[in-house]
Amino acid sequence: MACDNPEHRHCLELFEKLSEYIDQELESETHRHVEAHVAECLACSACLQTLKQTIALCRQAGERSVPAAFSRKLHAVLQSTTKPPLP
Amino acid sequence: MTAAPPSNRPKINDNDTELIEAINSGQTEKFSELVRRYEQKLYNFGRRMCGDAADAEDLVQDTFLNVFRYLKDFRHETKFKNWLYRVAASTCIKKRRRSKFAPERELSLEEFVSGEEPGAAAQVPDWAQIPLEKLLNEELVQTLHQAILSLPEQYRMVVVLRDMEGFSTEETAQIMNISSTNVKVRLHRARLFLREKLKGYFAHGL
Repeated sequence: MACDNPEHRHCLELFEKLSEYIDQELESETHRHVEAHVAECLACSACLQTLKQTIALCRQAGERSVPAAFSRKLHAVLQSTTKPPLP
Repeated sequence: MTAAPPSNRPKINDNDTELIEAINSGQTEKFSELVRRYEQKLYNFGRRMCGDAADAEDLVQDTFLNVFRYLKDFRHETKFKNWLYRVAASTCIKKRRRSKFAPERELSLEEFVSGEEPGAAAQVPDWAQIPLEKLLNEELVQTLHQAILSLPEQYRMVVVLRDMEGFSTEETAQIMNISSTNVKVRLHRARLFLREKLKGYFAHGL
């Protein structure tokens, strides 16, 4: 990822940290550093917003119900397996 | 999964502790209550990891059979739910190893930065600004699930555990038996991969 543009290098360095920034897992100094950069850099701000929306979509993607037929079969199999042996 | 050696770690009590102690003291009929509590969570984990309903059902059944077999070794050093997912993750990895021999693809950061030239995305795209309730529909959910399934497994499991099942970085590291640093690296790449797929979907309606 060779690049002579110091601005671009800075963006790429922060690009690596965006998930940790979103998850509030960066040390406070680095967190402030990313925050300040994103406030000034439109490209990084766009990247951050799309990443945040991706995460939000994953969190809201919803759950399926267990098919009733499978649940009955599962309980029957486990019941026969977990039954203690006859004395 | 072998018997855990005794340790001095404090015992964690959660909503499942009493039930597990009852099962371990011989009331095995109560195991079905434990299954009831977690079958839906595990089924969804299975669908997200395997895609196919039949494979997900196998994963759920094999996981509960393993849980019953090893429940006496559970030392309450972590929440039961985390231990359950550790068993499920391990069962899932073993199943995949049996069915696939191709080496896993690594995702590199470089493959995601090409579109991030300065100025390349000088504005936030519409899809990232629309409220979720307006954005989410069945087609988008399907696209997202397909994108998750196209992730290499080691990345898929991290993003499923962190962003869909709601585990923390440390919990995910414990479940997958990898370092927290590794979780963070894989998670970032997995998220970038999904973001690329979503960008494609919103740009071309694919």
